[in-house]
Amino acid sequence: MNMKTRKNKKAEELLQKLEPKTNDNLLTLKGVGKHYGSIIALRGVDMEVDPGRVTCVLGDNGAGKSTLIKIIAGLHQHDEGEFTLHGSAIKLKSPRVALDAGIAAVYQDLAVVPLMPIWRNFFLGSELTTGVGPFKKLDVQRMKQITKQELADMGIDLRDVEQPIGQLSGGERQCVAIARAVYFGAKVLILDEPTAALGVKQSGVVLRYILQARDRGLGVIFITHNPHHAYPVGDSFLLLKRGRAIGYYSKSEITVEELTAQMAGGAELAELAHELEQLGGHDEELAEAEAGAGPQVAR
Amino acid sequence: MGKPTWRKLAITLAIIPALGLAACSSTGGRAPEPESSAGGGAVAATDRIKVAVITHAAPGDTFWDIIRKGAEEAAAKDNVDLQYLSDPDGGRQSQLIEQAIDQGVDGIAVTLAKPDAMAGALKKATDAGIPIVSLNAGEDRFKDIGAFAHFGSNEQLAGQAAGEKLKDSGIKKPICVIQEQGHVGLEARCAGVKKVVPGTEILYVQGTDMTQVESTATAKLQADKQADAIIGLGAPFTMTLIKAKATANSKVEVASFDMNSQLVQEITKGNVLFTVDQQPWLQGYMAVDALWQNHRGGFTIGGGQATLTGPAIVDKTVAEKITSFAEEGVR
Amino acid sequence: MSSTTASPTHKKPSLTQDERVGKKSTLSILLGRPEIGALVGAVALFIFFAIVAPVFLSPASLATVLYGASTIGIMAVGVSLLMIGGEFDLSTGVAVISSALSASLISWYFGLNVWVGIALALVVSLLIGFINGIILIKTKLPSFIVTLASFLMLTGLNLGLTRAIGGSVSSPSIADMEGFQSAKAVFASSVNIGGIDVKITVFIWLALVIIASWVLLQTKIGNWIFAIGGDEKAARAVGVPVVRTKIGLFMAVGFCGWVLGMHNLFAFDSVQSGEGIGNEFLYIIAAVIGGCLLTGGYGSAIGGAIGAFIFGMANKGIVYAEWNPDWFKFFLGLMLLLATVVNIVVKKRAESSK
Repeated sequence: MNMKTRKNKKAEELLQKLEPKTNDNLLTLKGVGKHYGSIIALRGVDMEVDPGRVTCVLGDNGAGKSTLIKIIAGLHQHDEGEFTLHGSAIKLKSPRVALDAGIAAVYQDLAVVPLMPIWRNFFLGSELTTGVGPFKKLDVQRMKQITKQELADMGIDLRDVEQPIGQLSGGERQCVAIARAVYFGAKVLILDEPTAALGVKQSGVVLRYILQARDRGLGVIFITHNPHHAYPVGDSFLLLKRGRAIGYYSKSEITVEELTAQMAGGAELAELAHELEQLGGHDEELAEAEAGAGPQVAR
Repeated sequence: MGKPTWRKLAITLAIIPALGLAACSSTGGRAPEPESSAGGGAVAATDRIKVAVITHAAPGDTFWDIIRKGAEEAAAKDNVDLQYLSDPDGGRQSQLIEQAIDQGVDGIAVTLAKPDAMAGALKKATDAGIPIVSLNAGEDRFKDIGAFAHFGSNEQLAGQAAGEKLKDSGIKKPICVIQEQGHVGLEARCAGVKKVVPGTEILYVQGTDMTQVESTATAKLQADKQADAIIGLGAPFTMTLIKAKATANSKVEVASFDMNSQLVQEITKGNVLFTVDQQPWLQGYMAVDALWQNHRGGFTIGGGQATLTGPAIVDKTVAEKITSFAEEGVR
Repeated sequence: MSSTTASPTHKKPSLTQDERVGKKSTLSILLGRPEIGALVGAVALFIFFAIVAPVFLSPASLATVLYGASTIGIMAVGVSLLMIGGEFDLSTGVAVISSALSASLISWYFGLNVWVGIALALVVSLLIGFINGIILIKTKLPSFIVTLASFLMLTGLNLGLTRAIGGSVSSPSIADMEGFQSAKAVFASSVNIGGIDVKITVFIWLALVIIASWVLLQTKIGNWIFAIGGDEKAARAVGVPVVRTKIGLFMAVGFCGWVLGMHNLFAFDSVQSGEGIGNEFLYIIAAVIGGCLLTGGYGSAIGGAIGAFIFGMANKGIVYAEWNPDWFKFFLGLMLLLATVVNIVVKKRAESSK
C-alpha cells in the first residue's frame, strides 16, 4: 500500500510537470533515434500528435515502426533526438510511466490475455477495489458494469462480459483494448497494426472505432503497412523505411495512390511490376496486391 | 520485489537472531562438548595404505551412516587413508570402482547389490592385483567377482529370524511395511518373515515422504482389523509406524529391522517388541580391517565363506545394554 | 461478494441484464470452472471406493484419507498458484525438507527455543522462493531449468549441512527442547471431532485453499497471477508488476513448504535429510489433475485441492480395498492423462469460436 501511494504521488508530479502549455502539440518527436548496439533501428524521426487527430505511421516490415512505438509507449528509451509531451522533454522509463502520463498502447498480439474474462482484461493492471488494508478485494460488480457500459458507449454490444476474451473476434478484441485505453484516460492512443490480422469486414469495424476514439478527443497513432486502411482515417502520415523517415505528409498533400507508391518505394515497385509482367502477371493487380498487403487471414 | 520488502526482509533477518539470544532452550539441543567417537588407542605401525569403500547407498540414509562410521574407525586404527563413495545407480557405482583403480588404491570394499554391473570394473581391479572384499550385499556372488571375503547379513535369514521371534510372541497376521517398492533386500526380509509366519501381508509405502508413510499405514491398520503386528524395515519408518498405530487406535504389536537410538528407547519402553539388527558398523569395520589384514600378512578371513554380521535380535533385555552405543551412532 | 460499496462520485451504470444472456444455470457456471473435470473424477472415485471397500466410508478412514491428501494439498495450493502464473517449481519436494531441517538444526545447534528455529526456517523458505524467482527473472531461463538446479542444490545442502552440523544423515531429535510441545500443537496435533481425531494439517490445508481462492478471484494480485500466466507480455504492457508477482508466487510456494516442513518436523521429531525427493511431482500432478494448465493462465486453488484429494483417495483407497499396490502408479498416471486431456479440451473451447 505504501508503494501504491508513492507511485500515485509520482504520477501526479509527472502530470503536473506535463500541464498543457498553449500552442504546444500533445506529443512531438524531433530527430528521434535508437540503436541496439551497433545496429541502428531508427533515426531522424519527426512527428506530431494532436488531440482529435489521427497520425498514421506506415512502413514495411523492418522499417522501424515497432521501435518507434516502443519508444512512445515506454518499453524502450530513445537515445537521440527529443521526445516532448505537452511541451516538456521526457524519457519514459516503463509502460507504467507512459500510462500514467496518458499514453496507452494497444498491441496487435498482446492486447489481451485470451483465457481471462472480458471484464478482468478490461481492468487488468488498474483494478478497482473496495475495503481497506489486507482485506482489499476486487469490486467485481462495479468493474463488470463499467466494462459493459464503456463498451456500449464505444458501440460495442456484448452479450456477456464474463466470457473469456479469447472467444471474441479479432476486431472485437482490439475494440475492447481501445475502449480500455479510452476509459483509463489515455490522451495518446497507440494502435499497433490493429488491422493486420483481420479480414476486410473486421478491419472496417476497427477503423470505425479509431474514428470513435478520435472524436472523443484522443490523439491517435495508427501503425499499419496498409495505405488503404491508413488513408481514410488518417490526418497525417509518417512513412518509415529502414529505420528512417522518408516522408511526412498531411492528408491534403498526398493521395492514396501516392502513399502506396511512396511506401513500396516507387522505382522498386515499378521494377518488380515489370519483372512480374514478363512472367505473365498484370501490374494493376500487383499494385492492388501490394496495397492490400498483410495476411488476409479469415477468422 | 520492491524496495520496502527488501527492507522488511533485512529487518526481519536482523531481528530474529537478536530474539534468538533471548530465547535459549534450557533443555535438549546439542551437547556442549560432543565426545569424539573414534576410539583413541594406538595406530597400526604399517605403511599408510589407501582403501576405497564403494557402496550403493542412496544419500541421506542413516543405515549407511553407521557402516561409514565402522569403516572410518577401522581406517583410523589401521593407518588407512579411506575414501568413502556411493551411488545408488549400478552403472555409476561401477564407474566409481574404475576411478578408484585409476587412483591406485591398495584395496576396494564394495557392496554387490548389482553384482553384474560391478563385474567388469572389478575384473580390472583383480587384473591390477587390487584385493577386493564385499560387504552388505553379494553373499552368493562375491567369490565369482574375485572378492576374498564378504561381510554381511542374509536378508532372508534376518526375515526368518524376525518371523521366529514373532511366532514365539504368538503373532499370526503381521503386516510387513516396505518403504521402497521393488527393493530386493526389503522384499527378501518380508519374504523371510512370511516363510515362518504364512499370514504375513505386505504393505508398500512411499519412503521419501513420512507423512504418506504414516497415513498409508494408518489406513491399513483401519482396514485390516485382523492384523496383530506391524513391522517396519528401517528404524525411522518404525518410529512412524508407532505414530500410525496410535492414530488408528490399533492394538497391534510393533517390530522392526535395523536400529537407531530412538528405536532402542522405544524397545526399552516396551513399545516395540524387538528389532533385527544386521550390525552395519561391523560390516564397514570388518571390510576395511580385512583389507588391512590382507596387506599386513596376506590373511584372508572367513575361509572362503561369507562372514555374517547378523541377524542379531535386539529386544528389551539387550536394548538397555546398548542404549549408549546407539546414541553414539555405532548401533 | 455482492456488496458494492461504490464511491459516491461514480456514476452508477444503468445497463440492465442483457436479455440474450438470460439467467445462467448453475450447471453451466459449473461447467465453465477449471476444476470441473477433477470434481467429477473425485466424486466417481469416492463412490467407487465406497462400493469396493466399505471401510473407506467410516469417519476414521475418511480422516486418514484427508490427512494423506492434506500433506500433498498444502503444497499443491502454492504450486497451483505458481502454475496459474505460468511457472513451475521442481524444488518443492526437497524445499519442504530444507525448511524442516533448518528449524531443527538451528534450534538444536544453538540450543534455542524451538520457535526461533521455526521463525528462521520461515526466512529460509521464503528466501529459497525469492532466490528461485529472482534467478528466473534475471536469467530469463525457463523455470524448469532454474528450479531443477535449485532442486539439486537443495538436495546437496540438505545432506551436506545435516551431516556437517548434526553429525548424522538425519536431524537430531528436538523433542525435549523448549517450545517443542507448543509447536507440535500448532503444526502436528489432532483435533477431535465427534470422537474422530482429524489431523490439524487438514484444517491448515483448507484454510490455505480458502485464502488462495480468495486471493485468486477477489484481489488484484489474483488478477495479475492469471494475467502473467496467460500472456506475460500483455500483462507487462498494461502495467502489471510481473517481476514482483512472479517472485511473490515463488515465495508463496516457499511459505507452503515451510508449513509442511514444520508439520514433518513436529510430527516425527527428527527429519531424514534424503527425504522429499520426487514429491515435487506429486504436487504438480495434484495441480494438473485439478485443472491447472501447464502453460499457465488457467486453473484454481480449489482444483489443486481436489487433485490432492484424488491422490489421497487413490493412494489410501487401494490400501482399504486391499489391492495389489503394484498398479497404483499406473492408476495415477492414467488419472493425470485423463485430467490433462479434459483440460486441453476446456482450453480449446475457451479460446475457440473467434
